[in-house]
Amino acid sequence: MAQTEKKAGLLRRTSSSKKPLKEKVVLMYDEIFAKEDPTKNNPRFWDELFLMKVNLEYLEGKLESLDGDEVMKIKDNINSLFHHCVQALGEEHQIKVVNALQTLCALFRGVHQKNKSATGFDIINMLMGFDKAELRMKELMESLDSLLCGDGSESLKSLCLKLLLCLVTVTDNISQNTILEYVMINSIFEAILQILSDVSSRAQHGYDAVVLLALLVNYRKYESVNPYIVKLSIVDDEPTLDGMGMVIHHALTEYNRQYKDKEEENQGGFFSTLTSMVGSMFIADADEKLSVQTNEAILLALYEAVHLNRNFITVLAQSHPEIDMATTPATPVPASPTTPLSTTPPSLDMMNNPELPLDPNLQTSNLLITFLKYSSIVMQDTKDEHRLNSARLCLIILTCIAEDQYADAFLHDDNMNFRVNLHRMPMRHRKKAADKNIPSRPLVCAVLDLMVEFIITHMMKEFPMDLYVRCIQIIHKLICYQKKCRVRMHYTWRELWSALINLLKFLLSNETILLAKHNIFQLALQVVNLFNMFITYGDTFLPTPSSYDELYYEIIRMHQVFDNLYCMVLRVSTNAGQWKEPASKVTHALVNVRAIINHFNPKIESYAAVNHISQLSEDQVLEVVRSNYDTLTLKLQDGLDQFERYSEQPREAGFFKELVRSISLNVRKNVSLSTMSQDVLLKEFSSIS
Amino acid sequence: MGDTELELSPAQLEELQQSPSASSNSSTSSLSLPSSPSSGTRPLTSSSPSTSEGLPTSSPPLDVISEGVGELSLVIDTEVAKKACQEVLQKVKFLKADGEVSSASSEPVLVNGTAHPESTDGGKPPKISQEEAEPVKNVRRRQKNNSSKQSWLLRLFESKLFDISMAISYLYNSKEPGVQAYIGNRLFSFRNEEVDFYLPQLLNMYIHMDEDVGDAIKPYVVYRCRQSINFSLQCAWLLGAYSSDMHISTQRHSRGTKLRKLILSDELKPSSQRIRREVPEHSLSPSKRTHQRSKSDATVSISLSSNLKRTASNPKVETSQDEPVRLTPQREFIKSLMGIGKRLATLPTKEQKTQRLISELSLLNHKLPARVWLPTAAFDHHVVRVPHTQAVVLNSKDKAPYLIYVEVLECENFETSSVPVRIPETRIRSTRSVENLPDCGITPDQRASSFSTVPNYDNDDEAWSVDDIGELQVELPEIHTNSYDNISQFSVDSITSQESKEPIFIAAGDIRRRLSEQLAHTPTTFKRDPEDPSAVALKEPWQEKVRRIREGSPYGHLPNWRLLSVIVKCGDDLRQELLAYQVLKQLQIIWEQERVPLWIKPYKILVISSDSGMIEPVVNAVSIHQVKKQSQLLLLDYFRQEHGDYNTEEFLTAQRNFVQSCAGYCLICYLLQVKDRHNGNILLDSEGHIIHIDFGFILSSSPRNLGFETSAFKLTSEFVDVMGGLDGDMFNYYKMLMLQGLIAARKHMEKVIQIVEIMQQGSQLPCFHGSSTIRNLKERFHMNLTEEQLQVLVEQMVDGSMRSITTKLYDGFQYLTNGIM
Repeated sequence: MAQTEKKAGLLRRTSSSKKPLKEKVVLMYDEIFAKEDPTKNNPRFWDELFLMKVNLEYLEGKLESLDGDEVMKIKDNINSLFHHCVQALGEEHQIKVVNALQTLCALFRGVHQKNKSATGFDIINMLMGFDKAELRMKELMESLDSLLCGDGSESLKSLCLKLLLCLVTVTDNISQNTILEYVMINSIFEAILQILSDVSSRAQHGYDAVVLLALLVNYRKYESVNPYIVKLSIVDDEPTLDGMGMVIHHALTEYNRQYKDKEEENQGGFFSTLTSMVGSMFIADADEKLSVQTNEAILLALYEAVHLNRNFITVLAQSHPEIDMATTPATPVPASPTTPLSTTPPSLDMMNNPELPLDPNLQTSNLLITFLKYSSIVMQDTKDEHRLNSARLCLIILTCIAEDQYADAFLHDDNMNFRVNLHRMPMRHRKKAADKNIPSRPLVCAVLDLMVEFIITHMMKEFPMDLYVRCIQIIHKLICYQKKCRVRMHYTWRELWSALINLLKFLLSNETILLAKHNIFQLALQVVNLFNMFITYGDTFLPTPSSYDELYYEIIRMHQVFDNLYCMVLRVSTNAGQWKEPASKVTHALVNVRAIINHFNPKIESYAAVNHISQLSEDQVLEVVRSNYDTLTLKLQDGLDQFERYSEQPREAGFFKELVRSISLNVRKNVSLSTMSQDVLLKEFSSIS
Repeated sequence: MGDTELELSPAQLEELQQSPSASSNSSTSSLSLPSSPSSGTRPLTSSSPSTSEGLPTSSPPLDVISEGVGELSLVIDTEVAKKACQEVLQKVKFLKADGEVSSASSEPVLVNGTAHPESTDGGKPPKISQEEAEPVKNVRRRQKNNSSKQSWLLRLFESKLFDISMAISYLYNSKEPGVQAYIGNRLFSFRNEEVDFYLPQLLNMYIHMDEDVGDAIKPYVVYRCRQSINFSLQCAWLLGAYSSDMHISTQRHSRGTKLRKLILSDELKPSSQRIRREVPEHSLSPSKRTHQRSKSDATVSISLSSNLKRTASNPKVETSQDEPVRLTPQREFIKSLMGIGKRLATLPTKEQKTQRLISELSLLNHKLPARVWLPTAAFDHHVVRVPHTQAVVLNSKDKAPYLIYVEVLECENFETSSVPVRIPETRIRSTRSVENLPDCGITPDQRASSFSTVPNYDNDDEAWSVDDIGELQVELPEIHTNSYDNISQFSVDSITSQESKEPIFIAAGDIRRRLSEQLAHTPTTFKRDPEDPSAVALKEPWQEKVRRIREGSPYGHLPNWRLLSVIVKCGDDLRQELLAYQVLKQLQIIWEQERVPLWIKPYKILVISSDSGMIEPVVNAVSIHQVKKQSQLLLLDYFRQEHGDYNTEEFLTAQRNFVQSCAGYCLICYLLQVKDRHNGNILLDSEGHIIHIDFGFILSSSPRNLGFETSAFKLTSEFVDVMGGLDGDMFNYYKMLMLQGLIAARKHMEKVIQIVEIMQQGSQLPCFHGSSTIRNLKERFHMNLTEEQLQVLVEQMVDGSMRSITTKLYDGFQYLTNGIM
């Protein structure tokens, strides 16, 4: 437990400065902060400094405590500290490199904590001096680049990435981090790619590299030309993209596995509940959040890759054997607070193995499947803000996927069948489906299942309108593809229809509450238009003639919902007000549904009357439907198969800004922790060299 | 015996008789003599010059009975003739040796010898290389000068009639080292493809027969290995496979293993590379050459191998290895395919196997394109992509054979043409519009449409969004035809595009009707069955599949794009299959030559080792088992469903195809004693032909020796129904075809026997079990029966098969044990 104690100590920064006995390094720091040139008394001052073990918290605390004027007085010393740090990075002595990296870390952080109000230019001036800034940063980035790409120590590389992560997340809003301007000019994109393309470095640093890339891409995304965006969008090297996919795949799998373990724990008996209670004393509830938040960063990386890079789409379908079953459940739980960034999970070495492992129990999986499973977990509970954002991001990614032709092609590929075990929220009125019984189907079925699942589980007071709209859009896009390419999926469309009708029902019964916050007519219009797709274009993508009959049956069966909806939208559209326009759109869209209801209902009634049956069976209704198609005329509506393409700007810009901010905060928190734990490693390192 | 083999046209005869020594007015019959290979050296005697006067007297009996060799020997003194023949051959040898080196010894020297065209010791080396290319011409030229001493045998060897089949036969039957050496040399004059057909025979002789034969063959093999990577690998694989029956201790030191190692060590590089590099060594070789000339053939062969070994250790040669390894890519490719098969076999369910196969192949795709190819293909190409999602696991109980489709780009020469550049998966349309539009066969307006969208790429905002590209991607496939279920374009799209404000009305009934029509009009497909994933894949018409895969492929726009398929078998011995292929191919050629309209489909086999290999799948064909299981129809009704009702032209064509193929395969089954004939092993193609597959039980072997399947071949009443019943014209036609086919086959029996007989050497294959395999095979040709008797025989066999309950019993047995209908 010594380590945790230490950590606790480290977290309390203020107390550490009151130590009675000062280390040598602290004395040296004091010299730096003492206005005079430290080399005056000791010409080898800088050489010696980097041989000392860094006292991060002292240095940071010292910087923090300075006020503006004081800073200006010692600016030269800080400039030269920075300068010598950068110089030390080129040293052969690795201890110096390590210490220089950590010192830089402390410098960046200390300066920023101090100058919360100061402008970015002030900070640059303070650290490097205006005149030298460009040169210094160029040197720094070049050194980091060569450290990352060289075949030096792995922990050095790791530390480089930590430094970069630290630098990138030093401000809450990444776009206000002016120093990053130099990171844009002196790109380390290639170094990141190299880490991702190499199997062993990917296993060790892949996570950090991917997170770093995701953050860099989000620097002043909407205001300027970000070279990382441009570069990421044109990468076509498959091993690299695959590597990136693997890292994301692995992180998501890890999350899914943890969730599953926890779920099983909760379902276990008394004893396991007890152990989990004991366990949770170590984990603390922060762990739960941690895992979600870290995965937001990885999810952002997935989004950027899918959204920016067309070639990445192939990676989604790249099959890998399922990793989560292979991991040993014996992973020590108390270690998990640091897992997201510092230690490499044991199963990662699976990725080192170029040959697929030979285990008959392994289910083949791919990134898309893992992502769908992850989404199904995240979407279960959207009350929490983080989870809501996660779910939103999941849906955005799915939107991008559903728009991509190549992705659609493999989603609908009849030869690529998979069993996807989506997580379903336990609900009273339904049994937990046995995992084994899920048939192996094309992946689009899993996507549709996920959407249906979302629709039926989120009809609540805190109505996630935005998510619903996205969800319906995804379904619509998939159906448009099917219609266009005449793909006939053997999907149980009935489940989708009844989910949609129930959604309409919910909207109707909560009209007043919902209307206060949302434009429910937009959602209703989307839903009704989905029905219109089925009604007028069903011949192009429904699997069987009888499925078309079933569609009519479902509409007729639930005709009351449509009747009520029509009454409601008619009422709203006749009144003047902000909803007049959207409501009247819905009335027009309902024309075919109403035609069907008005056409068949009398027929069914007369059939019942003629045959003296009070309650018609499904088969009888279907019989009536089948024999009365010819007298029904439908109106073809325009633009049913048109949809608006997803675009990030301007609609989603706000969301992403907030998301990146929360990811930054999170990464910063974790980096600071793990940088400390790196000390242990470096101690060994120093004793060897 | 071989009386029918040589049907000499008068012109050919004259040519043969032109030489002065042929002064005797020898008749046709005498010429037919040498072609009977089984009679060993005797034909030689008759044609030896010393006894040429005796020929006229001997000819009449020969004409009548080919087996009359006994009489012959009475006329001519065997010993004398033999001596004479040897003399001639000796001369031939000397002639060649004069030129440079004897045929057998020329090779090892050539290894080095050809290496210095500009060497200081005069014009000799260039001469060698010339000789190596055309050894026989050289001989021929010289022999013209000495034509007076030509033997009949030599003249036969020189004649146009002397084909590869005869060469193989003499090589196998002759005990004369001289004859063998001559033929070994003569191999160079045949077209590569001709010799390739007999490669298994050649190599099996090399492995299992005596030194002399081996020495005769080796120069040719080495020469060809130098020329072609493909040939090298084929040899290496076959040598490995046919050596496997030897005892492990002898195997290690056998000639076959040594040659295999030599080939795989990749020392047999094209000599052109050596010319550049081996100059410093030249001072050594001339003396060596002269030294070797005096050696006997046997010692030469030893020096041959040692010579090559030496070159391996020669540092000068080592330097030539800086160029890319020739054989490695292909070997790795094959190895990974086999590795997949092995891993699949460990998985319990078909579904898991299929998923695993797909994911393994997707990994394999990462390494493509490469300088690899499918040896079963008929043209040079590079493999560029394996459309992994199309691969299927085939039905097999405990092994995991699988079928993959392979996209290739045809090229001039896979060894020298550059390997295509990799195109990422998602670049399907963008490259089409940029690079290769002019030749990709899209109509101009389509081209225009794709070009018009190109400017969008320059639009900054959209540069990396999928928008326009997405639109573009769907449009193209739709123009060709619909991507999924082959429905013609409907008016729905055009309706939406109309800008009229007039409301458009459609009848719900129309939508419903269109839906059912479209589903009905799609060609009958099989339902996806997780337990039989291959059925759907195999049922899809080949052209349809090619089109579909081409559309989905990033390479599809290239004009030289082709689709191939191959079955990868791991854990199965394909040597018998290869034998069956050769016999089928030979019979096919014979029937074609004799104009008997029998139809069979030999499918190519690639033996990689004694327990792995590849098979060229028969396209557009599914097994009768799958047909019956999926359609739940009788065969005749299935024919009507697929081809139309009786008396439609389609049906009649299909029926004729059925009869012709049925007759062909019945004969095959009879002659080769093909067993294990259940419906899973008989395919039905889209034109109505049946195709027998799986020749695992032929000749002397039968499954588990249960004694089932005693009838000559499989002829069920369902088959007869398709032929129009027992009394129908087609059934008579069927029997007539069988008779004609048997007569034709009998005429060329030797060609068939020879293939089998040579392969029996040193073989432990179950089909050669027992001692009477060849004798029984010969007996089934019924050389002694008249045509009338043969007709009776055919009738009997058909009757027997019809009445045979064992066929039915066997089907029942298969149904019970393997679930095959």
